[in-house]
Amino acid sequence: MSRPLTFAVPKGRILEEALPVMARAGVVPEAAFNDKDNRALSFACENGDMRIIRVRAFDVATFVAHGAAQAGIVGSDVVEEFDYPDLYAPVDLDIGHCRLSVAEPVNSGLEPLGKISHLRIATKYPNLTSRYFERQGIQAECVKLNGAMELAPSLGLSQRIVDLVSTGRTLKENGLVETTTILPVSARLIVNRAALKTDPRLGELVEAFRAVAEGRA
Amino acid sequence: MSDIDRDLLPEGLEDRLPQSAAAATRIMRAILDVMDAHGYDRVRPPLIEFEKSLAARMAGIQPRRMFRFIDPVSLRTLALRSDITPQVGRIAETGLAAAPRPLRLAYAGPVATIKADALDPKRERLQVGAELIGSDGVAAAAEVVAMAIDAAKAAGATGISVDFTLPDLVDTLATSILPLDPQAIDAVRRELDSKDAGGLKAAGGESYLPLLYAAGPFESAIEKLAQIDVGGVLASRIAGLREIAARVGGAARLTLDPTERHGFEYQSWFGFTIYADGVRGLLGRGGTYRISGDAEGGEPATGFSLYPDPLIDVAANGTAREAVFLPLGYDPAVAAQLRSGGWRTIAALSDIDEAKALGCTHILDGTSVHPLS
Repeated sequence: MSRPLTFAVPKGRILEEALPVMARAGVVPEAAFNDKDNRALSFACENGDMRIIRVRAFDVATFVAHGAAQAGIVGSDVVEEFDYPDLYAPVDLDIGHCRLSVAEPVNSGLEPLGKISHLRIATKYPNLTSRYFERQGIQAECVKLNGAMELAPSLGLSQRIVDLVSTGRTLKENGLVETTTILPVSARLIVNRAALKTDPRLGELVEAFRAVAEGRA
Repeated sequence: MSDIDRDLLPEGLEDRLPQSAAAATRIMRAILDVMDAHGYDRVRPPLIEFEKSLAARMAGIQPRRMFRFIDPVSLRTLALRSDITPQVGRIAETGLAAAPRPLRLAYAGPVATIKADALDPKRERLQVGAELIGSDGVAAAAEVVAMAIDAAKAAGATGISVDFTLPDLVDTLATSILPLDPQAIDAVRRELDSKDAGGLKAAGGESYLPLLYAAGPFESAIEKLAQIDVGGVLASRIAGLREIAARVGGAARLTLDPTERHGFEYQSWFGFTIYADGVRGLLGRGGTYRISGDAEGGEPATGFSLYPDPLIDVAANGTAREAVFLPLGYDPAVAAQLRSGGWRTIAALSDIDEAKALGCTHILDGTSVHPLS
């Protein structure tokens, strides 16, 4: 068990809130990590024995599920979207709060959801979206976009969108209104199933984050 | 139409070329030999059966994940096996119904699924395993776990780690000391499975939180589990686990995760997963179950399966084997003698055949063998 652990963190929104939490759990990246001009993707950790990689949020889950990284931090939206059986999400870090919601144009005059059997939706979360609508007997045809979902209704790509909402400002500025919340979202510590079972360092890491989340450290 | 993709194999299927095919044969035989030495007799069920019999005996085996088609003879649905265990169950209940119990059976062969797992594109795998039919007690479980570890070692696995679980734990607790609303059981189980403490609380399973923490190295985890077990409903299970762990001794690293359910759809009180160094994901799993598939009827049984493909992939990269080149005009009697002495011979068919190019390490010169420089 001499190989260093790899810890994956997402670029962007969650990262700033995650760093202090990681620090309290003893995961502190080297100084170069905070250098905005540094283009490296992999960083050493101050307490040795660990390497931190910075990747896109969806890729955090993929790296950890495949065991290429043993642990990481990612929003519960990503965990639920993939629903990988080999991923554990043992600790809710209580940061990066937002929600996954359905939105539609203001005064759209669209048929209410209870009266339709088919929908066209623009989203970054096709699995979560179709699962959610399936439960209501609606077949959702998802148009997978990687960003700027808010444009889709006005340009006729779809009637509605499913996207992350935190303040609701982006929706408002694009003439959309939130109608239903699909899922409340917060950041989770995730670990690879096989790694947790076979590498005692993972158990210690989970315990450290758990202590932070419960306010014990 | 262009014919470029005429020889393309479908996704998730591959040829095993000489090195890896040789490793596959060697590893499969090593595992079968271990089981044979423990008194397990090999059976060979067919590749294809009626869908009904493959799906009927065990929960969690999904017919929709099997290759299925209509039998032109009987007009019933046939399926390609995705797991050999139910076939062995069928044999135990039919052809060998009258055989004395406990009945020890072993098997090895390919299994296929129509759709691969999200993380592993393979659609065909080698499954090698054993079933002990007639008992699901502690002694049977201990025998099977110990043999599974032996078999994994014989297959070349190193750094073996075994994770114990109690598949029916939530059902047991929900009807006794930690009562749950029947509607909430599925949600609680799901959150326990993903180890999601936040989700578990939200699903109404707050009283199950301590179980999440009772996972880890066996000795400390079993202590924590014993503390949770206030009413003693789990006392026999905990004692059983300790007995199995004692039998394993130092043969493998042991962990306990009492709420693990993933992949243990049909197991009853005891389940285990085998991990090894260099194998991404699991190497094998096993546990106790009832052959009919429901808790009430059916014969008790204990078994395990290994999926040795990752070990074969590693072994296939090993060094090439030794072989003797037989030049034109060699003496067949000498060659036969070499083969019976354990040598592998490769004979020249024409004078352009070259020893090195054909992968030979040695050359026959008259009656003596010389290493190639």
